[in-house]
Amino acid sequence: MDLGQVLANGIVLGALYACLAVGFSLVWGVLNVINMLHGSFIILGGYLTFFAWHLFGVHPLLMLPVVGALLFCLGYFLQAVFINKVVTAPVLTTLTLTFGLDMILYNFMTVYFSATPRQVTLDLGSIDLFGIYLPNERLLGMALALLLTGLLFVTMRSSSIGRAIVAVRMDRFAAALMGIKVNRIYAITFGIGALMAGTAGALFALVYPVTTNLTGIFLGKAFVVCVIGGLGSVPGALVGGLALGLIESISGVVFGPQHSLTVGFVVMLVLLVFRPTGLVGVKGYE
Amino acid sequence: MLKTSHAKTRSALLTSIALTCGVSVALAASAAGAQETVRIGAPLALTGGLADEGKKQELVYKMWEEKVNAAGGIEIDGQKHPVEIIEYDYQTDGPRAGQLAERLINEDDVHVLMSPFGSGHTKIAATVGQRYRIPTIACVASSESVYTQGNPYLFGTLSPNAHMTEAMVTYLKDKVPGLETVAVYGRDDVFPKSMAEATVKAAEDQGLEIVYNQLYAVGTMDHAAGISSIVAAEPDWIYVSGYTQDLIVIRRQLADLGAKAPIVTMVTGPAYVEFTEALGDLADGISSQTWWHHSVDYEGEGAWKTTDEFYQDFMEASGGQDPDYIHGSCAGALVMLEDVLKRAGSLDGEAIREALASTEITTFYGPIDFGENGMNQARDLPIIQVQGENIEVLYPESIATAEIKLLNE
Repeated sequence: MDLGQVLANGIVLGALYACLAVGFSLVWGVLNVINMLHGSFIILGGYLTFFAWHLFGVHPLLMLPVVGALLFCLGYFLQAVFINKVVTAPVLTTLTLTFGLDMILYNFMTVYFSATPRQVTLDLGSIDLFGIYLPNERLLGMALALLLTGLLFVTMRSSSIGRAIVAVRMDRFAAALMGIKVNRIYAITFGIGALMAGTAGALFALVYPVTTNLTGIFLGKAFVVCVIGGLGSVPGALVGGLALGLIESISGVVFGPQHSLTVGFVVMLVLLVFRPTGLVGVKGYE
Repeated sequence: MLKTSHAKTRSALLTSIALTCGVSVALAASAAGAQETVRIGAPLALTGGLADEGKKQELVYKMWEEKVNAAGGIEIDGQKHPVEIIEYDYQTDGPRAGQLAERLINEDDVHVLMSPFGSGHTKIAATVGQRYRIPTIACVASSESVYTQGNPYLFGTLSPNAHMTEAMVTYLKDKVPGLETVAVYGRDDVFPKSMAEATVKAAEDQGLEIVYNQLYAVGTMDHAAGISSIVAAEPDWIYVSGYTQDLIVIRRQLADLGAKAPIVTMVTGPAYVEFTEALGDLADGISSQTWWHHSVDYEGEGAWKTTDEFYQDFMEASGGQDPDYIHGSCAGALVMLEDVLKRAGSLDGEAIREALASTEITTFYGPIDFGENGMNQARDLPIIQVQGENIEVLYPESIATAEIKLLNE
């Protein structure tokens, strides 16, 4: 089989993985919260995009900012009202809280949207690039995923909110002494995490049928990407996502599709033992 | 004063005795007039990952309950008994399905259990039924491993997977000249894996060459690697077994990566309306196997005497949605239960079990004939194909509505 096709498949998939994991990584790295809601946020973004397209004919690209804004508000609200109350407690407390919130959101979506797989069908065809077939929907998804991840990277580095988030991540006590409202930054960070998850879900709905049954799988992917790439940074999620996409694609051909996910987990375990910071992670966030 | 008080006490005592006797007589008379309700327990996955499937079961259970009660109930030993389906949501949590089965038996005194969706959860609920000698009817469990546990109280209306795959290979070899090679790609999960294995065996037994045979892991989001290998092998027939969301992606990627096979079979893709709705034109030409499709035409006894009668009632109850094999099998199981209870002549668990074991009837769902392991042994299961906007039945010939159409023709 053509190596170029294998690599292209891996890169396209990896970009989407990066987009879905970057919000999870940010929340974990800055707030030290393992956000069990992340998979449900992705599916909610996918459902909102699908139903807007299916019922009202709204183009998925127009829905991206709407989904992002809605999910940001939801994330901000949940952090400000619930999670901030226990954010300094041991990680197991926040994990349990987000797990409970996830059960509510998950069952809400299952009851009102049903678990039926939904996919936005744009039928954009595919291009043949020197014998490498690339479906245009996947290319579009990849390009937008990279764009969103890039925007987040620029925001984190150059905006005052981004600098405040980085400051809180480095030392929340010092940040508070500098006049940064830490709880507000926590809520904004969680909102950004939800925004990235929702928009990733909207992009996934272009290439993959979304259903509530996938929340656990998306959450698992986010974990692996964070461990491979490194926690708390945009480049970490990008490198981790692309690495996981390529690992799954190459191992699917070398070892068979049955073992492609296993290989991803093996790489994660090896990194946990020998390089807990991940490939490009910052020391102290492992 | 003392004498008056004694007289009052005696009078009150007599009144109490008279009242007690009166109430007892009235209760006894009432019990003699009303027949015992047939109670059927149903742990259902109404929330959680299998909520869609659980709701499908719930819908036909309610349809049947209303229809049977409207007709006065089921006649058992010369008297009509109303029916009641008692359901609990087990939240797609296997152990909870077992706990609720226990509650249905011990607290709600059900006479029969309808099993939850899928082979794994059926196994859990059926084990509880066996412990209390209450028959369990499984309408959506097809893996033979569920029925080889030595549970004489478990009966399933779906036929073994091998019955489907053998018929499929035989049919295709007969109808498609030059069919020589097949690629098999299945999800590494109980049902899809057993279907993939059964297809490989049936294909080898009938002289087809297997040019690709791989499983994909649960949670695989991209099938490009597997599909690229399939395309390179240039098979005449591509057989994929999985669940709807996987099959939609695989069908798209088959088209994106230039697969040219004249026959593409996806189990149980076209059996679900979600598959054809999501794929649109790409669903055209995809064949499948299923235990039941509403295009079939069987006649029998019970609440719904013909497939069409069930279909019309279902369309009304569901607001215009087509039924799939889950609806058909579960409604068929309850129609069969009417016949079983009549033959059992009582609501005793052992009597019902014996009547179930000797079942051999045809319902609107098709023939039901339980083998030694309690699984329906009916053969001639439908092969279907999406042709344009319709689902056509290709096999068995007695109910076929079209000939097979090859892809890329």
